[in-house]
Amino acid sequence: MDMRTLLGLALLLPMLAVAAETGTALKDDSLRAEPYADAKLNGKFTRGEKLEITGKQGAWLKVKTTKSTGWVRLLSVKRGTSTAGSSATGVLNVASGRAGTGQVVSTTGVRGLSAEELKAASYNAAEVQLLESYTVTHTQAQQFAVSGKLSAIEFKGLAASKEAE
Amino acid sequence: MNPRHALLLSTLLCYGLAVSSQAHAFDLGNALKDAVKQQTGGEATTGSEVQTPAGSASTQTSFNWKSPSPEEEMALGRQLAGNLLGAAPLVKDAKLQAYVNQVGRWVASQTDRQQLAWHFGVIDSDDLNAFATPGGYILITKGLYRKLDNEAQLAGVLGHEVAHVVKKHHLKVLQKSQLLNLGASVIGDKVGKGDQTLDKVIGSGAEMMARGLDKDAEYEADRVGVALSVRAGYDGYGLPEVLQTLGQVNQSDDSVTLLFKTHPSPEDRLTRLGDAIGSRLDGVNEGKLLADRFYRLPK
Repeated sequence: MDMRTLLGLALLLPMLAVAAETGTALKDDSLRAEPYADAKLNGKFTRGEKLEITGKQGAWLKVKTTKSTGWVRLLSVKRGTSTAGSSATGVLNVASGRAGTGQVVSTTGVRGLSAEELKAASYNAAEVQLLESYTVTHTQAQQFAVSGKLSAIEFKGLAASKEAE
Repeated sequence: MNPRHALLLSTLLCYGLAVSSQAHAFDLGNALKDAVKQQTGGEATTGSEVQTPAGSASTQTSFNWKSPSPEEEMALGRQLAGNLLGAAPLVKDAKLQAYVNQVGRWVASQTDRQQLAWHFGVIDSDDLNAFATPGGYILITKGLYRKLDNEAQLAGVLGHEVAHVVKKHHLKVLQKSQLLNLGASVIGDKVGKGDQTLDKVIGSGAEMMARGLDKDAEYEADRVGVALSVRAGYDGYGLPEVLQTLGQVNQSDDSVTLLFKTHPSPEDRLTRLGDAIGSRLDGVNEGKLLADRFYRLPK
């Protein structure tokens, strides 16, 4: 089965149908007709543009601009309305089961870790010992990976993008 | 010139410049020769074989700031972690701590520093933050843990912190500041190396934790963190997902004051990661989220 067939099959899976969530474009990018890199172009948007997020599939978001609709890599979009305000959890969180834990309500023993508190803190030997008592060996971690059907793969690493330098 | 030498040279240049602004009597040539000898000698060997002047190895009265051995690195990290734990102790939930160590150690096993012991802990704070100290001590707050949804996201966060250790980000900052101090005390005809005890660096360690690293170190840790989670078999978008979540927290909320002071904005981090990832994850086997196995804290 080739990659395209697999992708085709993946498309048949029910897409997350969610009510719209707002997002902001992190960069200039193109919209695609399908959620993969060489799909037909379906328009573009510019950095800072407001988008409506209507779905998610793998690493792709389905978005609506004022002019068109299409798929875009999820890292081209910042979810939520603005960095300054919203604490709304948003539909994607609801879809992924995060709703309900999104707003942390502190119960007892509220502790801050401000710069001042860090500087004023003193060494806690008992806690260091406790921390070290939980240490796991490489072999134990391998067993844990196997039990989750995690297998290590070769992946070279990510270079900083040239534009960012 | 290999990168290591380039780095060493730039470190020494900073060192030399700072020193010469205070006095002109310092022999940069000798310091350079000495440091090159130690760095190159130390690099290819194991920690215990790192060349140090006799009797000045990892004791409490001396610390080889030019080229710390892994043992010295761990001792330093242990001190700094102990101070963080002094500010916020571990959450008293053994299952949680065991789980975080399993995930964290599996991620750390994908690095070239498998020989470190690697310790992970969730600390009792409603702040959203995570910390790494040299030698493999990593702490994440309960507040941030509660924001996570699956094991891939935890792996992403821990991968970012593991990256700080592997890239020695904090160690380098401390080395630089301690070498400057050392240079100053040599000029001042005070006790030199013997005076640089571990205890004395703790103040600057807390200072560093409160001030943060430079932005490039954070961007690099993001990239390495994603790469490590991918290598470990997780979905590579765990860390970006957490950054999305952080981006939706009200910036004026007390729980993120230190995080946002010490890190670039989630928006900038997402943009950089997006540029670095591009299509790199497209051909990669589908990674796991493991939401079912994720240990959830009691409400």
